[in-house]
Amino acid sequence: MKVIDIQGLKKSFTGKRMQRVEALKGIDLQVGRGEVFGFLGPNGAGKSTTIKSLMGLIRPTAGTVRLNGIDVHDPASRRSVGYLPENPAFYEYLSAQEYLTFVGRAFGMVPQRVKERGEQSLRRLDLWEARSRPIRGYSKGMVQRLGVAQALLHDPDIYIMDEPMSGLDPLGRALVKEIIRELRGEGKCVFFSTHITADVEAVCDRVGVIVNGALRMVERVDRIMAEGITGYLLRSRSPAGEREQIVTVDHLSDLLSRLKEEGQTVTLVEPVRKNLEQFFLDIVKGG
Amino acid sequence: MTSILLITLKGIFRDRVFQGIMVMALLFLFIPTIGSLSMRQVTELSITLSLSLISFILLLLAVFLGGTSLWKDIEKRYTFSVLGLPLSRTSYILGRFMGNALFLCLTALFLGVITLLVILWAKGLYPPSRPVRWDNMMIAVLFDTLKYLLLVSVAFFFSSVSTSFFLPIFGTISVYLVGNASQEVYDYLHSGSQAVKVLPGMVVKAASLLYYLIPNLAAFDYKLQAVYGLDIAGRGMALTVLYWVIYTTIMLALTAVIYERREMK
Amino acid sequence: MKPFAFTLILILAYLAVIIPFADYQRTRPVVEKMGYVPTPQVLKFVSADHKGVTAAALILKSMMYFGAIVEPQFNTLKVPPDYQSMYGTLAAAVKLDPYNMDAYYFAQSFLVWDVHEVKAANAMLEYGMKYRKWDFMLPLFAGFNSAYFLKDYSKAAQYYKRAGELSGAELFVNLAGRYLWQSGRTEQAIAYLTMMEKGAGNEAVRRSFRIRLQAFREVRRLEEARDRFRAAEGRAPKSLEELIRWGALTPIPRDPYGGRFYLEPDGQVATTSKFTHALGAARKP
Repeated sequence: MKVIDIQGLKKSFTGKRMQRVEALKGIDLQVGRGEVFGFLGPNGAGKSTTIKSLMGLIRPTAGTVRLNGIDVHDPASRRSVGYLPENPAFYEYLSAQEYLTFVGRAFGMVPQRVKERGEQSLRRLDLWEARSRPIRGYSKGMVQRLGVAQALLHDPDIYIMDEPMSGLDPLGRALVKEIIRELRGEGKCVFFSTHITADVEAVCDRVGVIVNGALRMVERVDRIMAEGITGYLLRSRSPAGEREQIVTVDHLSDLLSRLKEEGQTVTLVEPVRKNLEQFFLDIVKGG
Repeated sequence: MTSILLITLKGIFRDRVFQGIMVMALLFLFIPTIGSLSMRQVTELSITLSLSLISFILLLLAVFLGGTSLWKDIEKRYTFSVLGLPLSRTSYILGRFMGNALFLCLTALFLGVITLLVILWAKGLYPPSRPVRWDNMMIAVLFDTLKYLLLVSVAFFFSSVSTSFFLPIFGTISVYLVGNASQEVYDYLHSGSQAVKVLPGMVVKAASLLYYLIPNLAAFDYKLQAVYGLDIAGRGMALTVLYWVIYTTIMLALTAVIYERREMK
Repeated sequence: MKPFAFTLILILAYLAVIIPFADYQRTRPVVEKMGYVPTPQVLKFVSADHKGVTAAALILKSMMYFGAIVEPQFNTLKVPPDYQSMYGTLAAAVKLDPYNMDAYYFAQSFLVWDVHEVKAANAMLEYGMKYRKWDFMLPLFAGFNSAYFLKDYSKAAQYYKRAGELSGAELFVNLAGRYLWQSGRTEQAIAYLTMMEKGAGNEAVRRSFRIRLQAFREVRRLEEARDRFRAAEGRAPKSLEELIRWGALTPIPRDPYGGRFYLEPDGQVATTSKFTHALGAARKP
């Protein structure tokens, strides 16, 4: 069973002057355990709409959405989900610790466990020193980190994060990426949206590209990387000196044998590839 | 639900609403002085002023807390983080309502105790011509509290259909004014007076319909009975409590139904 | 430094203005006006469940208006109070809170004596009796009005009987019976005014009762002198001056309203002020 299961999801809104706007045009997507899924798309493509449908915040016009096999109409579907909203806001009159206590209670955790897990996640997100201060006084990055902390609190199976890296400084981004990698190691399912290709390249197993409310492509990141190889950079040394050249994939073996014949030593072979960003741009523009 | 209730209560206290009430409660200290301006009914005037002050403070709380409670969560984007938790929207609404209701009850209790002290004081200064009916005073405060709880549920209902705070706040104030007058308008329309007969039948019918739709808040007003120590009919009280339970439940149910279907964009 | 200097200048400017401002406000002639009072229907609507307070506010407003006119000028009332507006305000007040005793008490204090609207006063008292069923004061007022002003003794007797039943006091029972016929009007008025003066909590109202009481005590002194004269001389005195010359009146009676006492042709004591400030002041030389 795939823990995130979206089938034929459509969503249309009534926009200005009573015009129907089709925000999602039939999305099919499944994500399983131990998988980190990057949801990539330009602004306004439907990333947030999809995530809000997953969280039951908006009602699909058509299609079914299930988390852990439970339809998202049912609040129980969110019992094992850690959700980080886009640009999150938390009751600012509470302190981080009080907020986590509230979240823990909502998930039905026993106080002792809330205390332990709370300390763990606050320390992990570097908020332990600030835990008793009201959220009102937090910086944007701190609020974002608290968002991650409250998603981690009850140790759920599924993590749904809307732009988890936004508003963070480089240190924070690195920390969140590290956490996502750890979660994969623990066999969790992480689904996050972003418009930054480098983040996907760094942590994702699979990536989905959404453009204008339709999924253009869902693919394994390592396969994209493999398919994206356009040639190789080759460095060789001979008594005459060092030399670098680029060859296409087809000519690599020919070149290698020629160099061997010439008595040169190959010191480096590096694939030259289209990066994910280029790949992404091609897809977006191609549509 | 209790988790929402607790943070609602915490939020109200953290927003220093209670301190505001304490400041307003200082007005109670002036009541015996103002009461002494009366010629023949110092204690009566003191009771009138105290009960009206309680009623006024509770009105402010009902309108401004009740009217902004749901709106603020949407406006400040708290709904995304809260409704992303495994809580049903109904329990969120009920938790919010209970939090506001509990605060209103605590305030009424606090102000009620202050009133008792103030009346004791005024009574000591100027002995009243009629004995003070403490039971009536408590009934008046209790029914005032019920009335404003009902008004909070009305404010919640308006919040569920509106995206701004205008409808909840001004709608609730209008319901408060109309709800206090509806009984008199109804009585007048059915008094068979000559002035009524010239009105088109549609107007009378529409007014009668409104009378049954709009909460009858005048029924909760036991201030005169408390001030002048008049007898209160038990049947009337029982019916009013029943009416309150049903009306408030309907309002909350409608709010929950509408809120369940609402899109959190 | 700049914001500090600016604040300092503002504070100095404030000090420079506040003293003359306060001085002016202190000496500014107070024009207490009754102003416009909306109809009871409108008041009922806007005061929602604060009708009791609105009623009390209306009553206080009319009492303060009355106080502001009566207090500083004491018994030389140059501006006659706007009694019609006062009555309108009080009538609105009892529509909002039919139990408010202050309204009935205050209305009674000027309606009958100063405006001579005895019927309006009794109608208002009747309205109040429907609500304040326990209160003996309302029938007592109505009884006095009926007997003293309207000379409707049977109606008065009914009111006094009711007052007697409610209070259990001997006096009202007596008033309801034969005492009413025997006692003179002046005696009745003095008994009634003494009670009213004692009961008044508001200083301006009490003072107005005290002045009236003083006037009636003077009348009683005149009446007693007139009766002594008649007993001794076997005829009625022709004028007040004759009584004074005869030596039965020391000191010479003085009308606290500023009027002048005289004897009617039928021997009744009367005054040019008719017991109101306005007339008394107007006729003053």
